[in-house]
Amino acid sequence: MKRRDFFKASLIAASSVSLTSSLNAASQPKDNQKISKVAFPEKRPMITYSDRPPLLESPRATFTKAITSNDEFFVRWHMPEIPTQIDTQTFKIKVSGLVEREFEISLHDLKTQYEQVEVTAALQCGGNSRSAFSPIAGGIQWGSGAMGCAKWKGVRLSDILERAGLKKDAYWIGFNGLETAAYYKTPNFIRELRIDELDNHVIIAYEMNDEDLPYLNGYPVRLVIPGTYSDSWVKMLSEIRVTKDYEKLFFMDIAYRVPDNETQSETPEKRYPRTKPIVKMNVKSVIGYPENKTIIQNASHVVVRGVAFDDGTGITDVLVSIDGGKTWEKSILDKGDAGRYAFRAFRYSFKPKEYGKLTIMSKAINRAGDEQPFAKDIGWNHGGYKYNGIDEVTVEVV
Amino acid sequence: MKKLLLLIFISVSLFAQIKKGEDIAVPYLAYEIKMGKGFDALQANCLTCHSFGYIINQGPQSKAFWAGKVVKMVVHFKAPITKKDTQTVINYLYKHYGNGKLK
Repeated sequence: MKRRDFFKASLIAASSVSLTSSLNAASQPKDNQKISKVAFPEKRPMITYSDRPPLLESPRATFTKAITSNDEFFVRWHMPEIPTQIDTQTFKIKVSGLVEREFEISLHDLKTQYEQVEVTAALQCGGNSRSAFSPIAGGIQWGSGAMGCAKWKGVRLSDILERAGLKKDAYWIGFNGLETAAYYKTPNFIRELRIDELDNHVIIAYEMNDEDLPYLNGYPVRLVIPGTYSDSWVKMLSEIRVTKDYEKLFFMDIAYRVPDNETQSETPEKRYPRTKPIVKMNVKSVIGYPENKTIIQNASHVVVRGVAFDDGTGITDVLVSIDGGKTWEKSILDKGDAGRYAFRAFRYSFKPKEYGKLTIMSKAINRAGDEQPFAKDIGWNHGGYKYNGIDEVTVEVV
Repeated sequence: MKKLLLLIFISVSLFAQIKKGEDIAVPYLAYEIKMGKGFDALQANCLTCHSFGYIINQGPQSKAFWAGKVVKMVVHFKAPITKKDTQTVINYLYKHYGNGKLK
């Protein structure tokens, strides 16, 4: 038996057993997960799913503020080997492929030869909140803390491409970073984007919230693509390659994809045959305070705080319900000065009037009229991507 | 006073440079994994690329799921896992991190 046949045979054997019914829906993601005792470089102790590659999640309390501080910002790498040292004198980003001039950009060039720009943008893993899906979707069972928002400073990708000069047949750009696999033959974590899908907001960033990028967030430079999920925000960016044709890549063709149908959902028994990349973020809000199990004195003041964001369409309202979603009231949004890609902080004050458990919900709405659905109305997908259910916390009123 | 301020400034910027120039040490964590038949194959084949945290934090899954994951490691990530070890690892994962369903 050939190796491939062997795998096929074992899969068929496994699939020939009858199925039990499953829910194919979502509920609230996991919460209150244990914070590790061990802090990683430039981070405070966080929820730590793995040390190699590092996978760190921010706890709920992080999301009372519109800017996520660097030491609380989530971390997600794909490969086990990350350079443990970056020489800032010799580090270069190589620009090659279908360009008039191939060249290398040093950190010094990046900071001195181009217009320096800033964008505040939310960054979210496509699998953020994956633990909401039932049956359990494949992948790390993230709560809702695989997201954050920072002010990024760097250089427009378009300015670099202009200097390189795109040739006529330039349609795709591949981005590669310095993380590598243990085996030579493992595919690199390269991302490919269509040139016409990149706008002026895409930057190569070297600063995050006025500090150097933290090592674990991609020091010394990373790609920033506001409005999209973080899978293409390549860290430790070292190569930009312009091509005519799309190249087949594992991390583009197989990972980070959802069913290509209207509801982007399927069932484990009947997987949808066509898939598409996750790309644009949907409308979402997360409550930072109070948290599940917070104890609140009856008739005292409660100020609910949280954050909301989307793909840059723009949040118009965050509604809050304290009666299980029967009635909703507008919360107060921050001014939105940080731009349309940033977290909008919201707050809502009330006084509980009854003893016992009380559930607080938040629902964001954007300019396009998209609003967060209830978790139970979100269809399942095999990768557990793009969960954006109405957020809930249940407190104890005593 | 001026001198003192200057000193502080220099030490801060030096710190920033040294920090970035130095080897960054990412800590190792001990992920508590269940012991049992097949564990040796797990240790020999999985840890090269990822921690046990990656396994534990997938949640309980079906046998088909775990088989798919191990096959993915071989087919897409090119992990050199022998046929024998592949089956051993799948059986181990299903036994200790399974949901009781074959599919």
